[in-house]
Amino acid sequence: MDIDIQLTRGRIPEPLPIPVTGAGTAGAWIEFRGVVRGEEEGLPIAALEYEAYEEMAVREMRRIVEDLGRECPCLAVRVRHRLGVVPVGEAALSVGVAGRHRNEALALLTKFMDRLKHDVPIWKPRALALANPPGGVRPPSAPGVEQVLARVRAGCRPLEAERVALRDAAGRVLREVVCAPEDQPPFDRSAVDGFAVRLDDPADEFSIVDDIRAGDWRPRRLQPGTAVRIATGGALPCDGLQVVMKEAAQLDGARVRLLRRHSSRNIRSRGEEARAGQALLEPGAVLRPGSLALLASLGQVQPLVTRRPRVLHVVTGDEIVPPEQAPQQGQIRDSNSTLVRAFLGSFDVEPAQLRVADDRAQARAAMGDRPQAVDLLLVSGGASVGEHDFTGVLLEESGFRIDFRRTNTRPGKPLIFATREDGALAFGLPGNPLAHFVCLNLFVRAALEKLAGLPERNFFSTTVLAAEVRSDGDSRETLWPARVKVAGGCAEATPLPWCSSGDLTALAAANALLHLPAGCPVLSAGAEVAFASTLTPA
Amino acid sequence: MRVLFFAHLKDLTGCAEIRLQIGAPASADDVWRELLALHPELALVRGSVRLARNLEYAGPNEQFTDADEVALIPPVSGG
Repeated sequence: MDIDIQLTRGRIPEPLPIPVTGAGTAGAWIEFRGVVRGEEEGLPIAALEYEAYEEMAVREMRRIVEDLGRECPCLAVRVRHRLGVVPVGEAALSVGVAGRHRNEALALLTKFMDRLKHDVPIWKPRALALANPPGGVRPPSAPGVEQVLARVRAGCRPLEAERVALRDAAGRVLREVVCAPEDQPPFDRSAVDGFAVRLDDPADEFSIVDDIRAGDWRPRRLQPGTAVRIATGGALPCDGLQVVMKEAAQLDGARVRLLRRHSSRNIRSRGEEARAGQALLEPGAVLRPGSLALLASLGQVQPLVTRRPRVLHVVTGDEIVPPEQAPQQGQIRDSNSTLVRAFLGSFDVEPAQLRVADDRAQARAAMGDRPQAVDLLLVSGGASVGEHDFTGVLLEESGFRIDFRRTNTRPGKPLIFATREDGALAFGLPGNPLAHFVCLNLFVRAALEKLAGLPERNFFSTTVLAAEVRSDGDSRETLWPARVKVAGGCAEATPLPWCSSGDLTALAAANALLHLPAGCPVLSAGAEVAFASTLTPA
Repeated sequence: MRVLFFAHLKDLTGCAEIRLQIGAPASADDVWRELLALHPELALVRGSVRLARNLEYAGPNEQFTDADEVALIPPVSGG
C-alpha cells in the first residue's frame, strides 16, 4: 500500500492530488476533510490551535494505516494534518483512500478516523482549556494580559504605612484622609489693595479710621462715613463690607473719595476654599509638589504614607558579564540590571542587585538569606526552558508559592509570578530585554502600585495606528513596542520594528506598548488599538 | 532521560521538557515517582496520561533508561 502522511502548517491542498496507482486498479477514491467549526463547547470561536508530538504522530498514523490495511486492503492512503492556528472553515485534516472498491476504502477511512482520535498525539490545546478534563480538575489555561494583571493584583496587598517628614514624602502614597483643620481661608480677607467701607453706606467721601495690613488683626465696627485702608490679604475688621480698589479712589490726607463703586466686594470669604473638617486629600493620593505644599499650608508636617518596598533583583545566567566588561565569545553584556534599576528608580525604589551563575548551590550561597527580607524579589532568568525551571526552583527555595509559570502574552510567555505567606511577591522575568521591558511596565508596575497603596486602574487607552502592524497570526496576545505622539491634535501610535524579543533598538525608542488581541494577524493603519504608556514618556 | 510535555501539561508544569536521571532501568511507576517529585501538580492528571517511550506508547512492563525520550501523552484531540 502506498502511504504518505504529512503534518503541515500551511493550508491543505483542496482537493488532495489523487495518487497514481496501477492503471485501472482503483475503483474508488474517497477523500474526507475535517473542517474547523465556528463553535467549540458551545462557545463561538475564530480558530483552533493544533499541536502535535510530531515525530510520534506521523509514526502512529502510519502504524494505524498499515494495521488497518491488513483488514481492509486498499491501494493508497494520503493523510495531511494541519498544525498551528487553523481558522474556522478551513480543513484541519484531510484523508484520502484509494481502493479497488468503495467498501474497503470507506471502512479503512472510518476506522482510521476512530483510531486517530484515540491514539495519535495531536491536540487542540485551546479546546482542551475549555473541556472538562478527567478528574474534574480544569487545567489552567495560560493567562492573557488582563488576567495576569488581575492575578498579580489579587496576590499583593499594600505595605504598611509610616509617618515621614514632608521633605521625605515626595512621590509617596498618602494613606490617610487629610482634612482642613479650620476654614480656609480662616477669616474674610481683602482680595485687593483698597478701602473697606460699609455695603449699606451710599456716601462717596469717607474719613479713614484705620490702616490694616496682611497679618494685622483689628476687628472694629465701621460707622457710616468711615473707611479702613486695607492691603491685599488683610483681615476685614467686620462683616457687611466691600473693598473698593485703590485705583478707583482718590486719597486726600485722612479722607478718601470714591470715584467708582462696583457690585464686586473684592473679599475672599472665610471657608471659601474649604470648610473646617472637609477632606482635602484622600488615601491613595500621590504626594506631588502641589499636594505637599497644601499639607504644609495645613500644618500636616508628618503625613502617613506607604513605606518603600524592599526589592532584591537577581540576574541569573552563565553567559552574562557586567556591562563595563568586554564579553568573550558566546557571552553578552548584562543590560537587564540597568533596565530594572532605572525602572524601579521611577518609583523611587533602589533595589539590591546580584548576578549569579546558573548553578543552584552557587546561587543559593550568593543570595544567602537576603530573599527572606524583601517585599519584592525579581529574578531575571534566561529564556530557555531549563533556565526558567531554574528560576522556579530559586523562588520555591526562598519560600514562594508559584501562582503561574507562563502567560498567553508575547513577549513574556515564560513569566513566573509567585507569592509568599509574609506578603512578599516574586517575578521570574524571561531573560530577553524586550520581555523585561514589557513585564516591568505592565505586570511589575501593577504590583508596585498595589504595594504602594494606589487604587487599581486601567493601564490601557485607545489610539489610532499610524502604520500597519503584523503579529504573525499568533494565538497569543501581543504587546508591541510603539511610539505614541500627538499630531494635529490626535494621538497616533507608530509600531516600532521589532525583530526579536531581544531587540534593544525598539526598546530605546518606545514610549508605549500596543496590546494586540490574540489571533489578530494584521491591523492596518488607521485601526484603533489599545496602548499603555511606559513610565518614561518623552 | 528527556521527558516531554504537551498541550495543557505544558501549562500545568510551566515547561515543555525536563531531564530526569534515573540511573538503572526503571518501570513506569519509578518514572512517575521521579516526575511527581519535581512536578507534584502532575498527580492531578496521572490517571489520564499515557507514557510514550521513544515515539511509541509504553506497554505495562516497559523498562525506561536514561537514554530514552519519554513523552507524557494527555488525551488526544486531533482531526
